Amino acid sequence: MSEPSSAGRRPGPRSERVRPALVVGLLGLAVAGALLYDAAASWTGHRAGSWRSRAAHQLATRPLDSGWVLAGAAVLALLGCWLLVLACARGERRWLPLRQHPGAVIDRVGVAALVETRVVGLPMVAAARVRVRRRRARVTVYGSADLVQVREAAAAELARIGLVREPALRVRGRPARHRPPMH
Amino acid sequence: MSRSTVNRVVLGLVAVVLLAGALLVLAGGLHLYRRLGVTPPSGWPLTSARQPVLSSAARTRWRDREWWWPAVVGALAVLVLLALWWLAAQLRRPVPAELDRDTADHPGLRLRVRSAALVAAVRETAVGLPRVSAARVALTGRPEPKLRAVLLLEPGTDPGAAVAAFRTGPNTAATATLGSPTPLPLDLRLQVAPTPKPREPRERRRRRAPRVQ
Repeated sequence: MSEPSSAGRRPGPRSERVRPALVVGLLGLAVAGALLYDAAASWTGHRAGSWRSRAAHQLATRPLDSGWVLAGAAVLALLGCWLLVLACARGERRWLPLRQHPGAVIDRVGVAALVETRVVGLPMVAAARVRVRRRRARVTVYGSADLVQVREAAAAELARIGLVREPALRVRGRPARHRPPMH
Repeated sequence: MSRSTVNRVVLGLVAVVLLAGALLVLAGGLHLYRRLGVTPPSGWPLTSARQPVLSSAARTRWRDREWWWPAVVGALAVLVLLALWWLAAQLRRPVPAELDRDTADHPGLRLRVRSAALVAAVRETAVGLPRVSAARVALTGRPEPKLRAVLLLEPGTDPGAAVAAFRTGPNTAATATLGSPTPLPLDLRLQVAPTPKPREPRERRRRRAPRVQ
């Protein structure tokens, strides 16, 4: 499923979807099991459970444009949309693949930490905060540092990491935050 | 088919069934066909807003036939069995407890390696690598084992160098342990520790009251 394509677009890991599968499987098992029990009871000449008679009565008497039916259908439609997203979306968006090493990924917080370590070492940088997303990275520098220099350093660090898809860099400066004088 | 594929296909099927049923009910209940001026083909279900979701006539239509109850019970039993199998697949161990070591050069000899021992060895070697402060290792994948490792690197480490070190070190050793000619497939995930913050000046401690015995 996650064959690395030779072109530049190599996807990161894909989620296995174990937890949604467990939830959907348990719900399906509960519903199918209850219906099976009741159908077998009816077949062997016992009376159908009261819950099934009530549900059948509701389904047979409420018209389609009653509020309960519409609300239930809307909820089920939303659930269906959500499951469809779960089935198609990649998941594991936290991990970004490395260009030089197929099969190896680095997490976005780690990329941010590396860029921050590099930027904080520059002169006149009091502190830095880096936020890395899959397509954009934002570096906020506290202090009176040269922003061009900061951008160069951050870009060099990103190039050293070598992500398959390098995020676009945005650098902004903020005045250094006040610190109480040390005694 | 891998578990990931099965899960995604089943989730997608459930989603399509839910969505189709719900959209049919919504289209009928909100008079969408009349409003859009569309005539649904004959036999299309749930077209009128006055009709119930499942009428008694539709529910009991085939109840007097000979095959009705066996068919219902059989279909539900198949559904229950499929759900059980799917749930069991989620709970299954990700890898066999023991792996066969390739012993083609010693006929008649069969060697097996405990997965847990291999994982522990790889983890210890990985933690010993330079600039690696922690590691989590697991074997995954059936039938072909695959090594999955999460490494926590010290601040400022070159990730490429860490990957290369892991490949030549623990991964090669694990491959040699299993005696397989091709390197063990690797799923390596890197995390990096943040820059150590300069220590905040601490408030001076208040002098503790002398303890009286």
